[in-house]
Formats: sequence, structure tokens, C-alpha cells
Amino acid sequence: MSWQQVLLQQLVNGLTIGAVYALIALGYTMVYGILQLINFAHGEVFMLGAYVGVAALALLGPSVSGLPAGLAMAAAAMAGCAALGWGIERLAYRPLRRSPKLTALITAIGVSFLLQNAVMLGFGARDRRVPNPLPAVRWAIGGVAVTGMQVVIIVTAALMLVLLHRFIRRTRLGQAMLATAQDPVAARLLGIPVDTVIAWTFVIGSALAGLGGVLFGLYYSTINFHDGYLTGLKAFTAAVLGGIGNLPGAALGGVLLGLLEGLSAGYLSSQWKNAVAFLVLVLLLMFRPRGLMGEQVADRA
Amino acid sequence: MKRRGLFLAAALVILPVVDGNAYHLDVLTTAWLYALLALGLNLIVGFVGLLNLGYAAFFAIGAYTYALANLHAGVPFWLGLPLAAVVAGAAGVLLGLPAIRARGDYLAIVTLGFGEIVRLVVTNLERWTGGPNGLMGIANPTLGRYDFGVASAPYYWLTLALVGLVIWVSQRLRRSRIGRAWAAIREDELAAQCMGIDTLRLKLLAHGCGAAVAGLAGCVFAAKQGAITPDSFDFVVSVTVLAMVILGGLGNPLGAVVGAVVLTVAPELLREFAAYRMLLFGATLLVIMRVRPQGLLGTYGAPAR
Amino acid sequence: MAARRWWAIGLAVWLAGCGPHEPVVKIGFVTPLTGDQASHGTDMLHGAELAIAQALDEGPVLPGYRLELVPLDDQHNPAQAVAMAKKLVADPAVLAVVGHLNSSCTKPASAIYHKARLLHVNPVSSNPDISRQGFDTLFRICATDDLQGPAGARFAWQTLGARRVFIIDDVTTYGRGLANEFEMAAKGLGFLVLGHEGITQGEKDFTPLLTKVKALGPDLIYFAGIFPEAATLIKQRHDLQISATFLAGDGVYEPTLITLASPEAAEGIYVTALGADIRTVPTAKAFVAAFEQKYGRLGAYSSYAYEATRLAVRAIRTAGRADRAAVLAAMRATSEYAGILGTHHFDTKGDTTLRTIGIFTVQHGQFHFVEVVDSV
Repeated sequence: MSWQQVLLQQLVNGLTIGAVYALIALGYTMVYGILQLINFAHGEVFMLGAYVGVAALALLGPSVSGLPAGLAMAAAAMAGCAALGWGIERLAYRPLRRSPKLTALITAIGVSFLLQNAVMLGFGARDRRVPNPLPAVRWAIGGVAVTGMQVVIIVTAALMLVLLHRFIRRTRLGQAMLATAQDPVAARLLGIPVDTVIAWTFVIGSALAGLGGVLFGLYYSTINFHDGYLTGLKAFTAAVLGGIGNLPGAALGGVLLGLLEGLSAGYLSSQWKNAVAFLVLVLLLMFRPRGLMGEQVADRA
Repeated sequence: MKRRGLFLAAALVILPVVDGNAYHLDVLTTAWLYALLALGLNLIVGFVGLLNLGYAAFFAIGAYTYALANLHAGVPFWLGLPLAAVVAGAAGVLLGLPAIRARGDYLAIVTLGFGEIVRLVVTNLERWTGGPNGLMGIANPTLGRYDFGVASAPYYWLTLALVGLVIWVSQRLRRSRIGRAWAAIREDELAAQCMGIDTLRLKLLAHGCGAAVAGLAGCVFAAKQGAITPDSFDFVVSVTVLAMVILGGLGNPLGAVVGAVVLTVAPELLREFAAYRMLLFGATLLVIMRVRPQGLLGTYGAPAR
Repeated sequence: MAARRWWAIGLAVWLAGCGPHEPVVKIGFVTPLTGDQASHGTDMLHGAELAIAQALDEGPVLPGYRLELVPLDDQHNPAQAVAMAKKLVADPAVLAVVGHLNSSCTKPASAIYHKARLLHVNPVSSNPDISRQGFDTLFRICATDDLQGPAGARFAWQTLGARRVFIIDDVTTYGRGLANEFEMAAKGLGFLVLGHEGITQGEKDFTPLLTKVKALGPDLIYFAGIFPEAATLIKQRHDLQISATFLAGDGVYEPTLITLASPEAAEGIYVTALGADIRTVPTAKAFVAAFEQKYGRLGAYSSYAYEATRLAVRAIRTAGRADRAAVLAAMRATSEYAGILGTHHFDTKGDTTLRTIGIFTVQHGQFHFVEVVDSV
């Protein structure tokens, strides 16, 4: 392989995982934009998406395969996670809306632990196999190996981004979400049902995370109860990288982080990959908390 | 109140003589170790109000400092204690410097990031830290010719003594000018700055002191185990210690100890439910936050005199 | 009154600690029973349980005493292994210990057993350093990596005809140790070692590393680690269309590997294992039949756990009394032991002289035995 081919290959690999980070990052950024809450449990929602997808596939049985099966998995994951996200907001976060920040953060951590371990108890601590109903396609484009699954992930993520963008711009609910994020008090005065808007924010963010989870599971063929923690933190890094509260920023951050990770693992060292991601997170939060595309972050002591 | 406290303290001290069960003593020793950690974190989160989700990093630094010093330079335990405290304390100041720039929940995530970075560095520098396999053959403490070995009572008394010491220091600090300045920063940082308080220096001091306490705990842990691995110092440990502080009452040193004891002993009593431990733990966090966010003993304890 | 209540609780807890007094002797058995190695650990536990059951059928092991197996979980975590070791050591009824599975756990725990002068029989930890610590309490019944590594290298050179290798390990005591042994032998044979890198256990994405490997153009990839990471490596190697053959150590020899990696991707990989296929060993026939009847499928290490436990039981029986020193002396006096794996002789370090390395390959979604590469 020539060095150009190696670089392209690394870029393809990085872009794929970056697309997954982008999907998860959207949920983080939407919730933070409206509530200033770091939804610690979001990573677990992502992880559950893969499990729901596996369960859905098992329910369908061997008669269904190929694209319909894949779509069913995705739909089930999105629906299941949307419901879960709604539940978490309603039961865990809403009662604490007026409580101090620390309380909400600890609660979020508690929910995260709860979910992680519920999954561990229910599905076991070992890697769960994620069967892939889609046909395994592999191409070699100019010496660069690309799998069908990689293309599916990138295309799906891009599609979701476009849909979300149009939703925010073109629908009343979308506009309401924007307004609430900008100024919740004013939004309420204008008659916007803030509670409903918040609930929908969680629903949409969680659905996207669930989709990311299913894609993640299909791509790596395995899922583990612990995958949510690390991937969640990386996706949060991506959200901050792009500018928290900024949707296109979250997508951009996801892609950039994926590429950065892949390149550092390929050219520096695979072992230090995660340390690089955390270092990026820490440096960002210290020196440029508004990220690439965000506005100046107000002082939140 | 004071007499009951002395009675309790005396009872705790003579416990190993009355009940020689190694398992009981071991559990309580672990509780005291966590109490140390909780007391240290209490300085940072409780006294000054700085969120910290990466406290386990200082625990790790203390443990590895003693382990490496002992394995490579034969440093004995009693020298290792202050050494670990100093190194961890210095790390606390160093890591605190840039972290202070972040605010609110961002500070929490920065500290989490630091915690993970320390753990990853320790895991990947196999040449020095033994990597994922960790370090073994660390010497137990010795007193004259008596080697602590695998006996339980000596460690029990050691950790209990350290807990007593740190409680005493915590209370003294809280009632001092430093403690009052910390309280001022916690309540309203801007106002404190306007009053002329050097917030940066005081925040770093809190970080350093808290980290030093964790260093002590780390040294004891390494000496007691004889072997340490990176996964004893992960995010779960950081959250556990934070939960102990909150459960007991944020800012309250005695509360921190109570929280530590409760969250160490309860899982042991529920041993058959060991698999559900983390689940119950998460649920506990949720319940405390809903039902009694000020903790069992109330926040900040008695007002500073 | 609060104080009285605390006293009552304290008293109750204390009393609960004192159990009924009846003479019991115990054999400790420590393996990972939870976590990613749980399948191996549980298979081994079944082997141990079978050994105890059969021993009891043959008559009381120690007249007047009841024999109990104490299964403990080290969670594939060295710190936990040390904690479990201390727990066993503190119990005077424990006369011998069988364990652990992973070298990273066995190594620190063996020091604890040695300090307490407690017999320690190790079934399958293959890192050579374990028996180089000079512990006279340690006995090991499997081959070691200073044999497994070179055996793999020789097989790759002679049978596979490979000449350019990239080595990957998981940075554990076992993985790094085995990989280093392989590398030394490979270089000695004339291999061109293109690189040697570590991966972290639990990591999922090896595509950047594998892309780098592909660019270097090896004809062999050698992996020293355990099957979860191996499965991911194998699958991603397949996705990246890397043509190099894949050879791994015994930690990968586990049927779940094929399910996780997909039979298509795992086709044609090779693994070295600590011993020949147990089904081809004549002395093990009765064991295989008994095990499969009771527990179903035989695990990769069940036979070793069985053998190790039988040895511990025999030592206790020979000693004739509930005394650790006597049990240890009885084991040390064992010059020869005819077990299901063959006839063992123990050298001065406590290792068995019965050491064979077997080669297995994956064909049509199953492991198949290829050949034995005998000990030198």
C-alpha cells in the first residue's frame, strides 16, 4: 500500500466511527443547550440501542433478513431509546429542575450506573454478539478496503443530520426548541410549552443515540454493557469540540474526533488512543470551552 | 455529645481485641480507607465547592509513588506515607491549576478527564508501572521487627488513627481563617474576590490538601495489598467516594466518615446480592438526591466559629 | 435507646460470624467466575467439582473430616486475586489451593500462598516467570510459554512457510510474555519481525492498527492475548482484506471466538494450545465421558482443573492429617503421578515435565486439531 492509500484507509475508518460519535453528540448538545445539564445517562441510551436492535432481530426470527431486517432493527432501537429517554427525563430529571447543578449531575450519574448494571445483569458481562442481517459487502477502491457497513453508517448519519436540520428550521416544534434553548423564560412567556419541548428534545436526542448504538453494534459485531461509558464521553467531547448547543457543530465535532482518533491510533500508537481523546476534552474545556462553532460560554459558576 | 463521641472512639479502638474476626476487621479497615478518601474529597467539594469527578487519580498517584519508591529504592512504609502525601499533593496543585479555569459542570468533566488520563497513563507505561498487571511485592509496614504482614488488626488501627488525624486537621482547618475563606468562596466566589480573598491560591490549597490525603490513603492501600493494578483507581472509585461525601453531608467531615462506613459495610452485608451492588448503588444516588440531598448528617456540619 | 440497639446489632453480627463447629477441610479453587473469562472459569470449576465428586466416591479423603471445595471468583483481576488468596490463607481449614486461570492473577497470588506455606497447584497459567519465583509451594501441570512461543514460531516457519511477521499482544503478563517468547524464537529462525505492538483489553477498534499492519505487508500476524480481542482483530482483518495468516496463543482457543468473529472471518486461522486435543489422549477417555455426561460440552481447560484438583486431593489423602505442612510435604514427595493428561514428573521449579503444545485450526466454523509440536 502506498502512503496515500494508507491515509485514505485511515480516513475512511475514522469517518465511520466519527459518524457514530456525531449521532450521539447531537443528543448531548441538544439537552445541554436547553437544560445546561450533562446527560450522563446518554451514553447508556446509546448502548441500549444496540441491545434493543439485537432483541428486535431475534424477535423477527430467521425469516426476515437483508434490508428490511436492518430497518426493523434501526426502527426498534430508535423507538425503544426514544421511550427510554422520555422516561429518564420525566422520572429523574424533571423533579430536579429547580435543584442545584450538583444534584442533577449526581442524579445523572446514578441513572447511568443503574442502566449499565441493569444491562449487565440482564444480558451478562460478556460481549454480546450482534448478528448483521445486511449482506456483507466489501469493496477495494483504489487499494482502500471499504465495507458496505461503513457506507451505511456514513450515509445514515448524514441523512439524519439533514432531516434534523430541516426539522429544526421548518417545524414549529423545532423552532420552539431553538427558542427554549436561547431563553427559556421568554419562551414560556410566549406560550411555548417548555416542558413538552424539553421532553421532545430528550426523545429526539435519544432516538438518534439509539440509532448510533445499533450502527455501532452492527459495525463491530459485538456490544458490551460498558461500551456506553467510553463512547459517551467521546461523543460528549465531540459535542464540546463543535460548540455545545450547536447542532452542526456537534456533527462536525463527531467527525473530527473520529478522524483524530483514527489518525493518532494509526500513526502514533494504538494504546494511547483513548488518552488522546481525553486530552482533547480536557484542553478544550480549559482553553476553548465554546469549541469551534459555539458562542461565548457564559460564566456558570 | 462529646462524651458519646469519646465513648464511640474508644469502642472502635478496642474492637479488634473484642472481635478478632479477620473478615470483620478487613471490612472496617476498607471502610476507614474510604473514609480517608471521603475526608480528602470533602475538603475540595465540601469545603470549597469545587466539583471533582476524578479524585481516584490522586489515590492512584499515592499508591504508585509508594510502590515504586519501595520496589526500586527500598523506601520503607513510614517514609512512604509522607512521600506519597507530598507527591499526590503536588499533583493536586499541578492538575488544579489548569482545571480551575473551567467552571461549574465543566470543571466536573475536566476533573473526570484528568482522572481517566492518569489511569490511562499508568496503564500504558508498562515499563515503569507494570501496565495492566500492575506492581507486586510491595512491602508491608513494619514496626521495629514486627511485620504487619497479612494480619488484620494492625491495618485497622493504622487506618483508624489516620482517619482520626485527618478529621482533627479538617476541623481545625474549617475553623481557621483558611476555612472561613474557603466557605466564602463556596458561597459566592465573586463576592469573595471582591473582599480581597486570593481565590486562586486558596482553591489550589484545597486541591493540594485533598489530594495529599488521597495520597496517604493510596500509600496505605498499596502497603496493605502488596500488589496494585490500575483498575483499582477508575471512575467508579471516584464516584463512590463522591457519593460517600454527599451521603454523609457535603462539607461535614464526620458525615464523610459515616457515608464511607455505610457505603462500604452495606454491600458487604448484602453479599448474596453482590451482582446487584452497582445497581443498588446507582439507585442509592438517585434516592439520596431526591429525598435528602443534604445528606445524613446535613451539609457543612456546625457553623464555623 | 440508640446505644443499646447498636450493641444488639454488633452482637448479632459477631455471633453470626461464629458458625457451627464441625470438622471440615477445604480446597480453595479460584478462577474468574464473572467477567469476560467467566466461561473458562466456570468450565474449570466443573472440572474441579467432578474431581471432588469422584474422589469422594472412592472413599473419605481424610477420615473424620468432610472435604469441601471453596470456589472463589478473582474476576480476572490481579488485585481481586490477591484478596481472594488472602481470604483462603486466613481460613485454617483450607489445606490446598487450585488456581488461578490468568497468569496476571496467579503470579501475585502465588506469593501469598507461599508466605502461608499453602500448597498451590496451578492448572493453566502458562507464563514462565511464575515458577521462576522460587516458591516451593507452587506446582504447575501445563506447558509454559517459553515452549508455546517457540513452538508457534517453528510451526509458522516450517508448516506455514511464513517469513514476515507482525506481532500483537494485549500487554498482560500472559500476552506480553508469550509474545516476547515468540519474537525471540522467530528472530532466531530467521523471521523478519515487522513490528510488535500492544493493544488494550476491552478495546473495540483495531482498524487503525490493522491498516498500519496491512501496509507493512506481513504474511503472518501473531497475536498473544485472549479471545474477545482476538475475535475483533480477526473480524476487522477480514474487513480490511488482509491476506496474512493469523496465528494466536492458547488464550484464543475457545469456540466462542468463532461465533464472535463470524465463521467466515475465522476460517483458516491457527492457534497453539497447551496440549493435544484431549479427545485424542487415551488416558483421558473416562474423564471426557464423565464430564460430558454431567456438564455437556467440554471446556478448553476443564481437564487441567480436574487434574490439578485430583493432585491436591491426593496430597491431602497421602498426608493423612489436616495440616498444611504435611499436605505440602506429601505433594513434594510425589515423584510420579499418572493422571488423565499423562504421566507427570515435577521438576525442581514445580513444573511438570509433561509438556506438549498442540496446533488447532478453524475449518467450517469449528476448531480442528492439526498436530502436536512436542516439547524439546
